[in-house]
Amino acid sequence: MDAIVIYSILTLFDITLVLTMLWLAWYLLSTEDIFKAVVLFISFGLLMALAWVRMRAPDVALAEAALGAGLTGPLFLSALRRMNRTRKGERRLDSNENRGKDHNTEQEQA
Amino acid sequence: MSWIHIIFALILLPAIATGMFRILRGPTAADRMMTAQLFGTCGVAILLLLSAGMNNPVLLDIALVFALLAALATVTFVSRTWRDNNKNNHGNLIQ
Amino acid sequence: MEILYNSGTLLIIMGVPFFWSGTVGLIRFPDIYTRLHALTKADNVGLGCIVCGLALQSGSWTVTAKLLLIWLLVLIASSASCHLIARSAMQKNIKPWMRS
Repeated sequence: MDAIVIYSILTLFDITLVLTMLWLAWYLLSTEDIFKAVVLFISFGLLMALAWVRMRAPDVALAEAALGAGLTGPLFLSALRRMNRTRKGERRLDSNENRGKDHNTEQEQA
Repeated sequence: MSWIHIIFALILLPAIATGMFRILRGPTAADRMMTAQLFGTCGVAILLLLSAGMNNPVLLDIALVFALLAALATVTFVSRTWRDNNKNNHGNLIQ
Repeated sequence: MEILYNSGTLLIIMGVPFFWSGTVGLIRFPDIYTRLHALTKADNVGLGCIVCGLALQSGSWTVTAKLLLIWLLVLIASSASCHLIARSAMQKNIKPWMRS
């Protein structure tokens, strides 16, 4: 009786995890803002590690935690800054900051 | 196997799904990064509760790795991605 | 032994609403600084209550030491990064929210 309760709760946990991951992956692939996609990718790595744990592969979850959350996120963030520097004005970090930046670059060009 | 830990892990999991709204509509870039950091802490708590619930002490090591690398993304964001505009504004103020 | 287990369960029950209040605060609060305030409550107090509860229930010193190490690392990470975000937001002249 106790085992049935535990396994039904774990199945509910898995269903919630899979639905959250599908929702997140849809927004990650369909967004146009690159910074938003990077942050969603970091969150997706975290949920992917939880999914590996639930698939009884803790070693893969350890690698996913170290690579997905620890290394790939900062690498993407620094790559984003270099991209921002080379192609200025093509990407928007967000609207408020970008408005000030456009104004500044216009002043510099003038 | 104890069901109370797994129930609390199940309660904590929709907090991650709810916080997604702030990533999707956050006005500044720092709001999105803060949400990612809250997800990291929630993930650590879920891993700790699952390791008690599934009787698997290996999950503590995964939580340890998450806790070690949690600050890395935010520090990189502040020092690299967000600083770029800041220098521009400051230079313009001086000009 | 039973007392230790039950008090640990009580601490875990106390810790979980802090995470939910952190998430609700992150969604509902109007400003970057108030959102940082909500976030740090979830990090410090919520994870602290859960770690203390699990450490009371664990019954071995190595697991307790590892749990406390995880909490210490999360404390350092969250306080350092929230301080960095708040300071660079102040440097970027983002005004704090005023009730007007």
